[in-house]
Amino acid sequence: MSADSLEIHLYGRLRKLVKGSRPDEDTVRTLEYVENETFEGLIDRLELEQSDIGDCFLNGTLVKPKNVIPKGARLGLFPFNMVLLCGGQHLKGHGYTREDVDIDYYR
Amino acid sequence: MNKVLRIDMENLSHKWENVKPEHQTYAGRAFTSITLSEEVDPTCHPLRAQNKIVVSPGLLAGTLAPSSGRMSVGAKSPLTGGIKEANAGGLTGTKLGSLGVRGIIIEGAPPDSEDWYSILVGKDKCEIIKTNDYAGLGLYELIGKIWKDYPTKPGIIGSGIAGQRLLKCAGVFGNNIENSDPGRYAGRGGLGAVFGSKRIVAIISDGTGGTRPAAKDQEKFDAARKVFVKSLNAHAVTGRLNDDKGEPFGGLKNYGTNVLLNILSEAGGLPTKGFSSGRFDKAAKISGEAVHDLVDRTKKKFGDKAEGKYAHSCHPGCVMACSNVVPYEDTGKMHVSPLEYESVWALGANLGISVLHDVAELNRLCNDLGLDTIEAGNTIAMFMEAGLIPYGDGPKSIELLKKAYDESSVEGKLVSSGTQTAGEALGVTRIPVVKGQALPAYDPRSIKGIGVTYATTPMGADHTAGYTVAAEILGIKGTVTDPRDLKKAELSQAFQATTAYIDSTGYCLFIAFCILDDDDGFNAMKDTVDSFLGQDIEVTSYGKDILRKEREFNKKAGFTEVDDRLPEFFRTEPLPPHNVVFDVPDEELDEVYKNM
Repeated sequence: MSADSLEIHLYGRLRKLVKGSRPDEDTVRTLEYVENETFEGLIDRLELEQSDIGDCFLNGTLVKPKNVIPKGARLGLFPFNMVLLCGGQHLKGHGYTREDVDIDYYR
Repeated sequence: MNKVLRIDMENLSHKWENVKPEHQTYAGRAFTSITLSEEVDPTCHPLRAQNKIVVSPGLLAGTLAPSSGRMSVGAKSPLTGGIKEANAGGLTGTKLGSLGVRGIIIEGAPPDSEDWYSILVGKDKCEIIKTNDYAGLGLYELIGKIWKDYPTKPGIIGSGIAGQRLLKCAGVFGNNIENSDPGRYAGRGGLGAVFGSKRIVAIISDGTGGTRPAAKDQEKFDAARKVFVKSLNAHAVTGRLNDDKGEPFGGLKNYGTNVLLNILSEAGGLPTKGFSSGRFDKAAKISGEAVHDLVDRTKKKFGDKAEGKYAHSCHPGCVMACSNVVPYEDTGKMHVSPLEYESVWALGANLGISVLHDVAELNRLCNDLGLDTIEAGNTIAMFMEAGLIPYGDGPKSIELLKKAYDESSVEGKLVSSGTQTAGEALGVTRIPVVKGQALPAYDPRSIKGIGVTYATTPMGADHTAGYTVAAEILGIKGTVTDPRDLKKAELSQAFQATTAYIDSTGYCLFIAFCILDDDDGFNAMKDTVDSFLGQDIEVTSYGKDILRKEREFNKKAGFTEVDDRLPEFFRTEPLPPHNVVFDVPDEELDEVYKNM
């Protein structure tokens, strides 16, 4: 694995992207870095739909569709039914779990 | 629900009172905190006769409103020295609600007594019974014995071994619906020790002859609760077990609250090995997914004899069902119920322990001894910080906790005495407490808003007092910029006030997952409360009234703004992987209560 590669940590339903994965172990897929690729581009590359996705993290920070993925990034991908507990999807404004967000407090 | 049971343990008497006219809208946390603020001297010793225990089912407990059967316990806390409310599911809230009991106020203490007592509450009756044979028992044995003595399947709450010995790590236990586990804890604040100080082992609530509480506007109430159920069931966090294709759907039903472990670790906010890192590289091994997998594997292996479960309700009528029953891998029999996120964190990631069996065993020991898992886990971490046990050593942690059964063991006493006491006794300088109570499972350096709540809530460090985590997670790095100028203090204050309201209704705090996302759900929730009371309650002002009373109690007890601070090491030790410190200014912390 090159130092530039992307390290994708997968959880819940998304583990199926790696054959033989187990729910009680880390499930990691590596992908080649693509210059100027956004998070939504990466989701396309993984052949996932936006509706499959819950809270996801880029180097430990909640990621939004237009964020550009840097070299050597660690991404944590959680499915739509794994989100930070307390609701407030409208506070997050990432538009995944709930698409009709009217407020993005954290633009 | 209009009766208050007042018990005087000094002369072992009781009387029934009507709810005061000015208290008609108070139940749950509102009832416990306002009663304490009116009746208890804030400077009293928490483990002597002047303190009182107040128990109150939430406003809607016993009704058909979904997930509304929780119950609050309040007293001056021996752990924090301030006012305290802790709440839990189990059976007692529902039983008391159906008996029409708004609250139980226990005052005094038997002078120089060596006897132990239990309180039996039934329809229009109360008995204070000498139960020396209940004292000193492990709680799994105790709840089994009580259900044999009282075959009506009562709710049970009370103190275990730790509380009976007046140790500050003691929570108030509660039996679960099946009476298989005493793990429904109103855990925080050492309130189990207040029961012990009044020589009370158990409050036994017999719901025989009880009736469902009626709403003032029953038609509106029924319509609202149906909308609310629909809303909860449709949400991806609180919703049904499987989707139409049989795939896991509702996050809580499938993975429980422990769905959070992997998420917080990935976000760099999971306190690991004594708050030294925000990410645990072995989180997956003890995660909610790991428990889900263990349950499925043991079901496949042992068939009908397997006892493991997910989608398990913590109290009658809970539709979210985030509880679980964790089985032994080699037999499929029940090991512990529940195993929740906070407990897995405190007894797992926080100790560097990644063996699921060891974490479950530590939780079972806490349940049996009558210990709060969050406080106990942090206390064991003090032994690790002091170098007495290596981080990650499950068997040695289990060995340490088992010493708590032995009344002559100093280590056993220390591990039951709370994080601050143990940390100071062992020469530790990194002691993660606020107002003497240990921090829960969100590191305040990477999730700063929850740090504001930890610092300022009257409860001592408590995530449930104002759970800002989801709203805060994006503020990990740099300044949060938002178009409505929502500052951390305002955010924490808003969450603290809303939480105080929810804690009074009997609703589980987890309804927030749904109501914050769905206006229909929020309105329906509020309608159930308003139609039950027959008056419109403004959520935030109701919550703020409670907070003001709690804050005033603490002020009279001697607390000042200096007590609203996190320990120094959070401001000086950067937390990997984000390498940030807690840098919210003191002035911002003081803003939370400045203009309330």
